[in-house]
Amino acid sequence: MPTFQDKLYHYEVTPPEEAWDNIADKLYNEEAIELYKHGKPRLLFYGVAAAASIIILFLVSLFFNNPPSGNDHNLSISKDSIIQNKQILNSIINNPEEKKEIVSNNFDLGKTLKKYLTVTGPSGQPVKISPKVATLILYADNEYPPKPIWSDKICKWQEIMLNTTVPPTSANLLDMIMAASKNNIE
Amino acid sequence: MLYQMYSSKMYGVCLRYSENADDANDILQEGFIKVYKNINKFRSEGSFEGWIRRIFINTSIEHFRKKIKFNNISEIHENTIEDESIDVFNSLSAKDIIKAIDQLSPGYKTVFNMHVIEGYSHKEIADILDITEGTSKSQLARAKGILKKILATSISNSKK
Repeated sequence: MPTFQDKLYHYEVTPPEEAWDNIADKLYNEEAIELYKHGKPRLLFYGVAAAASIIILFLVSLFFNNPPSGNDHNLSISKDSIIQNKQILNSIINNPEEKKEIVSNNFDLGKTLKKYLTVTGPSGQPVKISPKVATLILYADNEYPPKPIWSDKICKWQEIMLNTTVPPTSANLLDMIMAASKNNIE
Repeated sequence: MLYQMYSSKMYGVCLRYSENADDANDILQEGFIKVYKNINKFRSEGSFEGWIRRIFINTSIEHFRKKIKFNNISEIHENTIEDESIDVFNSLSAKDIIKAIDQLSPGYKTVFNMHVIEGYSHKEIADILDITEGTSKSQLARAKGILKKILATSISNSKK
């Protein structure tokens, strides 16, 4: 004969029919809430990641589709700058006093227009240079013999540049210096 | 299906610990939700039914924790209460015993169920219910005394 402890331990009663429906409803709702809770941050993360990717792609495409030089707009600017450069150079050439000031480093800071010259580069790109170089450009035309002070300066600069360990490129003008020094040796 | 296998047994547990069928239904639902949500935490160290049963007992205790009030009984009194034998219950059906247990206060009922039916030690009961071992023992002794009186009354009534 089983003890009353055993009877109570194994005591079984069929629960009401709606009990399972309530459990299933609660489980379904809680699962939906859990999914929503976990899904929301993930959705936000993916959204931010997608937005960041789109912005990066847009910036990259913008960079590669619009190089700094090579379009018509820049070419038109370069043509304008050539005309302007010529005017400035002419003004310098026709004004010996001004030329003297520039060469002796005594240019007037108030004359902003003459602080820099914009010349056209090999690819048509505008290049800003110091007006001091304008004198050298003039001498390069062989119309004006170079002053000895400038020749000395250029020789010293060439020596310094030739003694550096920097590889010669068109950017640092070392390729030109190397070529010029070879010509001098020959 | 898990529910079909264990719902009747666990509903029996819920009825033993609760004061009425509505409370038992609430505990059953709450317990099965816990089982389904924590089923991955079951480590095959003991029986699966034992694991489920513990969940339902703990859920029942949580459900009635606010209601359970343990009488302040002095240590001297605790030691003088005799642990009465209720083996006379063996001749009764489970339903009749449940009826008798239902008349106990939630505190007595919980300690009685945990110690006599589930087999928890007084130390375990004390830890779970946050009471002293002495209180657990005295609650049990008093519960047994009340049950014996209830039984005596019901027998005398049936004779009349």
